[in-house]
Amino acid sequence: MNYKLKKLLTNWRIILLAAFIVISIVAIHPTLSKGVAIRNVIANSSASLAGIPQPKPNVLPVAREKIIAINSQPIGNADDYYKYISSLGPNRTIQIKTTKGSYRLTTKGDDLGLRVYDAPSTNIRKGLDLQGGTRVLLQPETKLTQYDMGILIDNMKERLNVYGLSDIVVRDANDLVGNQYIVVEIAGATEEEIKDLLARQGKFESKIGNKTVFKGGKDIVYVGRSAQEARIEDCNQVSGQWACRFSFAITLSQEAAQRQADATKDLEPVYDPASRRECYLSEKIQLFLDDKLVDELNIACDLKGQAATQIAISGPGVGVSQDDTITNTAANMKRLQTILITGSLPVKLSIVKTDAISPVLGEEFVNNAILMSLLAILAVAIVVGLRYWKMLIAIPILITMLSEVIILLGVAAFIGWNIDLAAIAGILVAIGTGVDDQIVITDETLKGEASNVYNWKEKVKRAFLIIMLAYTTVVVAMIPLIFAGAGLLKGFAITTIIGVTIGVFVTRPAYSAFVEIMMR
Amino acid sequence: MEENKEISAEPHQHAQHQEQKKENKAEHHKIEPKKESPKKSLKQVIFEIYDKKYKTLLIIPFLILALALAQIGYQIYSTGDFMNRDVSLKGGVTVTVPYEKETDVGQLEKQISSQFQKNDVSVRTLRSTGAVVGVIVEADIDGNDKAQVDKLLKSIESSLKIDLGKVDYGIEIIGSSLGASFFRESLIALAVAFLFMGLVVLIYFRTFIPSIAIILAAFSDMVVALAAINLMDIRIGTAGIAAFLMLIGYSVDTDILLTVRVLKRKEGNVMDRVLSSIKTGMTMTITAIISVIVALSVTQSEVIRQIMLILLIGLIADIFFTWILNVGLLRIYIERKAKKGITI
Repeated sequence: MNYKLKKLLTNWRIILLAAFIVISIVAIHPTLSKGVAIRNVIANSSASLAGIPQPKPNVLPVAREKIIAINSQPIGNADDYYKYISSLGPNRTIQIKTTKGSYRLTTKGDDLGLRVYDAPSTNIRKGLDLQGGTRVLLQPETKLTQYDMGILIDNMKERLNVYGLSDIVVRDANDLVGNQYIVVEIAGATEEEIKDLLARQGKFESKIGNKTVFKGGKDIVYVGRSAQEARIEDCNQVSGQWACRFSFAITLSQEAAQRQADATKDLEPVYDPASRRECYLSEKIQLFLDDKLVDELNIACDLKGQAATQIAISGPGVGVSQDDTITNTAANMKRLQTILITGSLPVKLSIVKTDAISPVLGEEFVNNAILMSLLAILAVAIVVGLRYWKMLIAIPILITMLSEVIILLGVAAFIGWNIDLAAIAGILVAIGTGVDDQIVITDETLKGEASNVYNWKEKVKRAFLIIMLAYTTVVVAMIPLIFAGAGLLKGFAITTIIGVTIGVFVTRPAYSAFVEIMMR
Repeated sequence: MEENKEISAEPHQHAQHQEQKKENKAEHHKIEPKKESPKKSLKQVIFEIYDKKYKTLLIIPFLILALALAQIGYQIYSTGDFMNRDVSLKGGVTVTVPYEKETDVGQLEKQISSQFQKNDVSVRTLRSTGAVVGVIVEADIDGNDKAQVDKLLKSIESSLKIDLGKVDYGIEIIGSSLGASFFRESLIALAVAFLFMGLVVLIYFRTFIPSIAIILAAFSDMVVALAAINLMDIRIGTAGIAAFLMLIGYSVDTDILLTVRVLKRKEGNVMDRVLSSIKTGMTMTITAIISVIVALSVTQSEVIRQIMLILLIGLIADIFFTWILNVGLLRIYIERKAKKGITI
């Protein structure tokens, strides 16, 4: 027995599984946290003036700055916070203690300018349908036909998707007198982000001497977003304010490049007066967003009359600190990239109202789902135990299923994936097909022990042949679903692919190693 | 059939031999040995039918598929849609009521639903800076039907115990959360998914039959589950759609197991390999079915119930489509090859 135990503990497949479980638990980071986490700090509010920093967009839920106490009064949850804040009058000085420091604020009105929520106890982000989000009612400025409304909604969805906010619902609505609206529900975004993204039409134009050269959307074939193609640079401080610049590469369509060549061919070359070496054309290229000038760039002389398809787009970002500025510049860049990819909305929208909305599936659903999964996993272990009449099969299957749940949640926490209904379904498929595979491994290896036609290695190989073929078939079936419009199919397909991949390469090899060591 | 004899006669004997060995093991205390009994046991009869009449048996899965397709056809004919969509997929009317008290949303939803047996109602709360500011009630009723809208408003009034005449509420007619193009796009994506699956299987086995069988089985599992859900008059939401997709994974597992064992393995004969696949495959399916039943009996969540119900029907359908349809198709293929003098 000791020998077997030693063999188990030194088997690399089992060590790999254990490593994955440990990393996943670290990624999930379960904590017993109290207080309220800061979701958003509104610009120019008392909180922002007191120096409470805006949370960075990619910060992990557990690592967010949390308010523990106000004026030594402990704050346990969001209700405590809002109750306490509403009891304060204007022009009061209060002391806010957070996990990262202590701030002195002067109240202006009822609102400190902080948006908070109950401090998360893990790094797992719940999706719109499990946690709720923000509901925004938008109204188009002009009346749209049903067809245009469809285009508008598709465009908005695409824009939100590019921005990385996959968990969104966009629906059209009318009131009874015939006014048109668009309802957007979105998880994990702040009001400011939504306003920035949705209420702007995003009409992008680039002009050379009043001639439009290219627009966002159709004229642009490719927008560089990788680290090599998109950069933030030239950060420096000028009279107390920080400024950075972003730049990224884009590829123009042939027609747009030709328009650029036509626009530059009659321009005069001008030499930089300082160096007398650098040569620019007499007109600059100007970038407009919603008819406002974002940036203007010199055009190098060697581009005169050239139909160049590769060009760089740049723009500024400002802020009060260096960190802040980099965050703002990155946000500006991302917004511009999004608009260049998706083009402009066919109509301007105005925000009628924004509210926080409760989830379709509340706490009850989550608790029910957890209980149900545990029971289902137990049921599988019992059925398998009865079928093979061996604890040494049932227990490892139980362990494998549980470790798959942990690893999948760990991956979700690690990559910042929102766990919603579709993701839960994907996880269930991964675990369910995992059980199927373990049964295949068990049957292939234990079958015909007497016959001994094949050695153990051969048997495992035969089992994995079936598993790999089933795996490939499922994965190729999921790929088209990733590209099918709505977020539901995409979320399901991606979690399924991640789930079965982890299963096939991590948990199932460990299971087969275990069976091999214990049963041989 | 003549040439087939030597392939199928031998497996039968072999398998019967195995069966008897098993039965002798289990019932060795019986005085009368099986061999001398002139009457065949039920198990043997079933096995014989399964072994010999596999072509006739193919009628069963095709009949089930035809009935399911007929149901879906009828559904489209009578309702204009291939399934019953719930409020999130169909849209309907939303009523936004300013209401500043904490409420039990689930309770409220039940109260309003009880007056709209035929419709789907969903209730959520709205918050602003932490405090409840309103309630949104969404129901899949026709916004132009004044009587229905009034009934909904009355029901909200009585459930919340407020007078809607005194507050500034809003009514909107709202579209589907998945958009008009969603179903068309997902059907195209599904078709491509089936094609890809078929392609992978085709590349591996270098023959069309297993590809067709696997596509047909996955397709049939989904269609049968959809028809059954339609018959039960259950409204499908986003959860239901996820559940239909989950069936692909389960369906593929049994079909691949069967096809690899039958076409790629050399031990025993065709029927032996089919039987060994059934043993493994049924363990897989039964394990899944039992865990689904456990989930169904425990859950109080309507959404989980819907997912599990669809999985349950799909898994049961999968038994027919794998072990009768897929087995039948594979055996016809092997028989054809045998006629050309190639034995597998």
